[in-house]
Amino acid sequence: MSSYRLPKGGLVDRKAPLSFTFDGRPLQGFAGDTLASALLANGQMLVGRSFKYHRPRGILTSGAAEPNALVTIGRGGRTEPNTRATVQELYEGLAAQSQNRWPSLDFDIGALNGLLSPFLGAGFYYKTFMWPAPLWEKFYEPFIRKAAGLGKASYDPDPDSYEKSWAHCDLLVIGAGPTGLAAALTAGRAGARVLIVDEGSLPGGSLLSDSATIDGKPAADFARDTSAELQSMPNVRVMMRTTAFGWYDGNVFGAVERVQKHVRDPARHLPVERLWRIVARHALLATGAEERPLIFGGNDRPGVMMASAMRTYLNRYAVAPGQATAIFTTDDSGYALARDLEAARVDVVAIIDSRPSAGVDYRGKARLIREAVVCRTKGRKAISAIEVHRGGRAETIAIDALAMAGGFSPIIHLACHRGGKPTWSAEKVAFLAPSGLKDLDLAGAAAATTDLAACLAEGAAQAKAIVEEFGWSCPPIVLPKVEGTEGTHASKPLWSIPGVKGKAFVDFQNDVHLKDIGLAVREGYSHVELAKRYTTNGMATDQGKLSNVNAIGLIAKARGVSPAEVGTTTFRPFYTPVSFGALTGPHHGHQFQPVRKSPLHDWAKKHGAVFVETGLWYRSSWFPRNGERSWRESVDREVVNVRQNAGLCDVSMLGKIEISGSDAAEFLNRVYCNAFLKLPVGKARYGLMLREDGMIYDDGTTSRLEENRFFMTTTTAYAAGVMNHLEFCAQALWPELNVRLASSTDQWAQMAIAGPKARAILQKIVDEDISDAAFPFLAAKEVALFGGTLHGCLFRISFSGELAYELAVPAGYGESVADALMEAGKDHGIMPYGVEALSVLRIEKGHVTHNEINGTVVPADLGFGKMVSGTKPDFIGKAMLQREGLAAPDRAQLVGVVPLDPKQSFRSGSHILAKGAAAALENDEGYVTSSAYSPHVGSTIGLALVKRGPSRHGEEVVVWNGLHGESTPARLCNPVFLDPQNERLHV
Amino acid sequence: MSEFRPTLRPVLGTKQAVSSATLKLSPLPEGTIIHVLARPGEQDMAPFLESLPKAAGHAVRPVSPGQWFIVREEQMPHQEMKSLFAALEPRATGVDQSHGRVRIRIEGKMAARALSKGTALDLDPSAFPVGQSAVTLIGHIAAHITRVGSEAFEIIVLRGFAESLWDDLARMSLEFS
Repeated sequence: MSSYRLPKGGLVDRKAPLSFTFDGRPLQGFAGDTLASALLANGQMLVGRSFKYHRPRGILTSGAAEPNALVTIGRGGRTEPNTRATVQELYEGLAAQSQNRWPSLDFDIGALNGLLSPFLGAGFYYKTFMWPAPLWEKFYEPFIRKAAGLGKASYDPDPDSYEKSWAHCDLLVIGAGPTGLAAALTAGRAGARVLIVDEGSLPGGSLLSDSATIDGKPAADFARDTSAELQSMPNVRVMMRTTAFGWYDGNVFGAVERVQKHVRDPARHLPVERLWRIVARHALLATGAEERPLIFGGNDRPGVMMASAMRTYLNRYAVAPGQATAIFTTDDSGYALARDLEAARVDVVAIIDSRPSAGVDYRGKARLIREAVVCRTKGRKAISAIEVHRGGRAETIAIDALAMAGGFSPIIHLACHRGGKPTWSAEKVAFLAPSGLKDLDLAGAAAATTDLAACLAEGAAQAKAIVEEFGWSCPPIVLPKVEGTEGTHASKPLWSIPGVKGKAFVDFQNDVHLKDIGLAVREGYSHVELAKRYTTNGMATDQGKLSNVNAIGLIAKARGVSPAEVGTTTFRPFYTPVSFGALTGPHHGHQFQPVRKSPLHDWAKKHGAVFVETGLWYRSSWFPRNGERSWRESVDREVVNVRQNAGLCDVSMLGKIEISGSDAAEFLNRVYCNAFLKLPVGKARYGLMLREDGMIYDDGTTSRLEENRFFMTTTTAYAAGVMNHLEFCAQALWPELNVRLASSTDQWAQMAIAGPKARAILQKIVDEDISDAAFPFLAAKEVALFGGTLHGCLFRISFSGELAYELAVPAGYGESVADALMEAGKDHGIMPYGVEALSVLRIEKGHVTHNEINGTVVPADLGFGKMVSGTKPDFIGKAMLQREGLAAPDRAQLVGVVPLDPKQSFRSGSHILAKGAAAALENDEGYVTSSAYSPHVGSTIGLALVKRGPSRHGEEVVVWNGLHGESTPARLCNPVFLDPQNERLHV
Repeated sequence: MSEFRPTLRPVLGTKQAVSSATLKLSPLPEGTIIHVLARPGEQDMAPFLESLPKAAGHAVRPVSPGQWFIVREEQMPHQEMKSLFAALEPRATGVDQSHGRVRIRIEGKMAARALSKGTALDLDPSAFPVGQSAVTLIGHIAAHITRVGSEAFEIIVLRGFAESLWDDLARMSLEFS
């Protein structure tokens, strides 16, 4: 016989039938069912195959610890493997598939592994796959990888959305069972901000499975009414389907809310899961306790179930485990189950109690066998009998369901996530949370309190103490009257059972059995952490929720010590598995990172720009025109046009920092290695900023707009870094200086107007005279535009080597001004140009960027040696720049490089070898830092850092690229390929 | 081209406002934002800034120690701003951020819940009352939040991130709209 639905009772809604499938077989359940309860209601006791031996497995628990009933649900991108059937709510149309079997669950070829089991014990991998060594990559590893894991993930994209959220509260209650509800109610009534979370779909926890009455009404009704009162309080938030998975610094708890995992078609406006970070002033763990299995032969056979789970299926879901049930118990909870089964008219054949006497007075019909143990089960894909040993005599009893009650382990995981180690209590026969935890307490079964009335009282009392500590006055607590429950006593630990026959599983999910633990101890892996790794006990998705304490008990017994001495393995988040989707939240695809847009983005877009991501910015790379077949054609045209006419380039992304205060000049003088103290008002200067170690950190121009007001530009990539650096200098290094720093990068739309016709174009919109006499090279000032209707800043600086200006206007007007410049320059042949052309122009002129300023160069390496002030008393980098190695004659220094044959090319990153030298590390002379095709030169040109480069102009070398197999004869040359006398700048 | 009149292009001008019974998300006019930076060791300038006659109709938002934003709906003419800056000296420097930062308003019963999807700030009125400001991250984007009403917040964000933040806020508001 098999499990079945009782004709009445339970919390399921019999008026709401739900259709679902298991391995394609159509079945029916009710609203309120889990997948597990619905499978049991349909008599489906075999639900999976075990990991290693492919043993038939049934449903063992009714909650988060389930190691056996792992199924795949959903289709396509919504496929979710290893879903615990015991926590998955049933919904209309749910499609579940069993895992780790072929060709079918009933007939699984993999079960042959069971025959090989004598060779597959603990440490099998480590001992077997060592030789012959060459087989590891070719055979063993692929084989092991193929065998690993249970379900298979989908390769389809996940169509659903996920999000993250923060929450704050005075008291976080984790667990909405009797303890948690009592605590939340007490704190809520006192007025504290309370957040109560529970992984279940209904508040109540064990109350939903308990046959006791509270204040004269069923326990489940008490849970419902209490929850309703909590939900009515504006200061209380009840979050169901939410698992608190970790405890972190600052009393922050991680939790995952399954918003739409219980529906077939998730609504688009809601995420399917939401990751919470809950900041709590204080937290109370009311997480209950986990029942431990007993370790006897065939304890994994379908039909064997935890006693508490059997009680849950019976009372909450109205599912009977079978027609003839036996209960194997080490504590009094087995009797409560017997009473409930008999009340539901389910036959209890026998109660096998390992103790000489029970703490309760059992008066039911079941045969009571004291001081006895179950040493094995019989059956094929379901249990059919048990063998009971008592006083040296064995007896076989025919049954079709067996409950096992091995005592309870408080669920203390979160309390141990910040490094505390659990402590063993011989009195409670359990590991308890570490004492002295800050801002976190435990109550109820999580603190090894087992009596229902005591749990309610403890939850209320602890909450009262917590909120009173915070200053709230708590109304008097009126405890409800609990009836129909019996006092329970700690179990008598029964780590190993005499006379066990067959495989007795300790860890069901990893197929770790009794002998594996013994083997680990015998082979020297008796430390609990080593035993875990050697046997795999406590690994995988359930992380040993059922197995760890039993394994510790077995190791303790084998070593002849107390479990206290063995201790536990380390508790770490996550308490239960959390999906990558929830951890990622919304930050994937185009939302992976924010987009930072220039104020000229849409202007560039309407001119057909091709954009490139540079950090978070989208920069216009080039502006293709009709007829151009490659990006090079566009870029060459843009470069030539700047040299011959004029171009407009968006440089808004450059970092811009306003520096003001009476010590601003002194501040800059210390930040830059070159002099800034006497920079005249109305002038810009190129500045080099060094790191403390003397290497160049960043470069850019800084202009003095007023006596005590400077406008600094930084490179795009280092804008934030330079701002932080300056803040550090101002706040920590030189707090005595009167200087203030404001980032104004986003305030300005900044455009470079470069080319021989730049002035003529600009003069059409700039009110002031910008002739060479009035506004010479490196002039900088605020200007009025369009007859005084707009004001901006104009800088006569050039990155291209041409007559050039940079105009900064308030960002909101950027597009309009750029439009005006394009109109003004129409007759002068103005064209937009992008960063590719910008790069070609600057390489032709020998200007450096962070390709060259790569953290290894000092000013002299780039030809800036004379810029470094020899007279300033100090500047950042001054001391370390004196190191002799930084002035060594063979340092790699900036040089130009051109191919001997203009038809040949080379790439950035290629290495420089002396002519005729072999391509070997000891012959490496340097490398190409930047390269481009130069329309001006008519070939590829490059900038390179080469040993003694400046003294080797004219020398023939080889540019070698091992990655691409390229070797290009080339000549070192002056890095300034265009206008070395700077005549174009001064026209 | 002295006859040419440059036009302002609001960065969130093309965004569809989000509006429901419990939540409304709207861009605020690109008026005036002035970043005020006090000289080191200066006393609290908030009372002084609030009393400034030069910036009528303005509000003052604390940014960080010694720093504030002066905000107002209307644009401030160039000369008026110059004279305001002069009035701040020597106690403080004013920097025009009217285009560098953008203001967004989010209001309604669910505004705080929506914002909590991005910010770690405790937005409960007991912890974050009307008038309180804080610099925070909303998702991956740095922003400045002020509670401007019992159920209303003003967000100030760098212009370059404004569209991205708007899209994030709209997504965060989806379940309430």
